[in-house]
Amino acid sequence: MVQRIREWIEIRTGISELVRSQLIGYMVPRNINIFYSLGIVAFVAYIIQAITGIFLLIYYAPHEDHAFKSIQLIMNTVPYGWLFRLMHVVGSNLMVAVVFLHMLSVFFLQAYKKPRELTWVIGALMSLITLTFCLSGYLLPWSQLSYWATTIVTTMPTAFPVIGDFFTKLLRGGEQVSGVTLNRFFAVHVAFLPPLMLILFGIHIFLVCRIGFSSPPFGKVIEERKEWKEFRPESYPDGHPFYPYFFSKEAFMIFLYFLAMFFIISFAPALFLPADANTPADPLNTPEHVRPEWYFLAPYQMFKLIPNKFLGIILQITLVILFILWPFFDRLKENNILKRPRLLVLFLGVLSLWAVLTIWGSY
Amino acid sequence: MKRRRFLKLLTSILGVSALSAFTYPILRFLTPLKAKGKGESIIIAKREIPIEGAKDLVIGGVPAVLINRKDKGYIILSKVCTHLGCLVKYDKEKLLLICPCHAGSFDLEGNVVSGPPPKSLEKFQFRIEGDNVRIG
Ligand code: HEM
Ligand code: FES
Repeated sequence: MVQRIREWIEIRTGISELVRSQLIGYMVPRNINIFYSLGIVAFVAYIIQAITGIFLLIYYAPHEDHAFKSIQLIMNTVPYGWLFRLMHVVGSNLMVAVVFLHMLSVFFLQAYKKPRELTWVIGALMSLITLTFCLSGYLLPWSQLSYWATTIVTTMPTAFPVIGDFFTKLLRGGEQVSGVTLNRFFAVHVAFLPPLMLILFGIHIFLVCRIGFSSPPFGKVIEERKEWKEFRPESYPDGHPFYPYFFSKEAFMIFLYFLAMFFIISFAPALFLPADANTPADPLNTPEHVRPEWYFLAPYQMFKLIPNKFLGIILQITLVILFILWPFFDRLKENNILKRPRLLVLFLGVLSLWAVLTIWGSY
Repeated sequence: MKRRRFLKLLTSILGVSALSAFTYPILRFLTPLKAKGKGESIIIAKREIPIEGAKDLVIGGVPAVLINRKDKGYIILSKVCTHLGCLVKYDKEKLLLICPCHAGSFDLEGNVVSGPPPKSLEKFQFRIEGDNVRIG
């Protein structure tokens, strides 16, 4: 029976040929390591967000009078509502972490070098979209924390002369963060960003499949890198088949991701939900110590430290553009970062600066 | 090859059991919450409803009507038509409950008089307590 169903599908789709050519026939470099699986983990993390998010939509009410209550309902009354909410909340934080790690490892492995500049650019845009997801989702519970953190973030553009005020009003749909803002952020979070993310992901993964994985530049480097004068997929004379060799590494990392998620849900469920997250939003009363989520602390602290707000925002915009277009600034062929002391120092310097600003920002 | 088969099996078992562990939470999550007001009792003063008068109620989320019938006393019927779920209306002149969707009609016992509905309207229990009608 199973055999017959298989044959029926096989005749009409030719799946086994696809598996043979795309999974088993798809080669990965022999010395590929676990860091190359972070991209897949980021994708799985995104899928988890999408699924749990759809579940939350079943009970969530995007209205200033009902949003907070509907979240309370999900947490306290709906059977297993807490599970899906916590998976979504913890997952959003873990996803940011995974995307950061993926990006750092791509940088460290210098995988953005020719011919993979576009892959980097699309990836950088996806990381910004990930952060926008977090930002817009943060307001939705309509708690004190979400209300005031959003107020802070949406005030930042006003540092920009002339268009800044306009931009802030556009974001908020009015002078203050209000029910109108909630509806805007809701639309962005559930309807605007998801298709955008999927399109970018499609391009990202298309490029990775088309060009092939980069080889780690460390250890025994296989051959002199050839100049890319025309399109050709990367070849690995002594490579491994993607399935099962690399697939098993990916499966392992995905298990690790779930492990981290359920560890936090089981042993530190309130990690990302402090007291202000359980108090309804009060537009006339700012709580003490409002600060953004951990991944926004570094830019937030930097913004606070620079006395001239305009300068601060210009600097941040410049850094973001530099980040997106980085492969076009770094055009040297050498792809072993250990042989490029200045780049290494820059890399470690930016990392430590980020860490210092984050820690500083949390006090 | 044996080792690979073992690993494959182990991964599949772990993966499938992890995923299927979500079935129960998902089913529970989707089951309807207790309707608001279920289990609460409703009290209506008799004088609110004259003879042959009626009053609309919602009992445990179900729209219903309380009718004070001449000679036969009170009755509470669900307004949900047994055909395809539209809400019937009490017609004071004809002394019938008439469905606006496909013209099904019921008498004041809830029995089908004409039209497509397959069975009688659901009845609700109540008690008379002095000057009041009490449901639940
Ligand atoms: C939303 C999050 C992202 C997802 C879902 C994602 C997904 C993936 C996947 C599945 C791969 C192939 C496997 C791998 O090398 O890990 C990949 C490769 C790559 N990603 Fe991402 N990515 C994301 C964000 C980023 C970011 C933020 C950057 C950099 C700014 C980036 C740059 C790259 C590059 C250059 C490669 C090619 C690596 C190579 O061929 O060795 N990605 N990504
Ligand atoms: S639904 Fe009432 S008659 Fe069809």
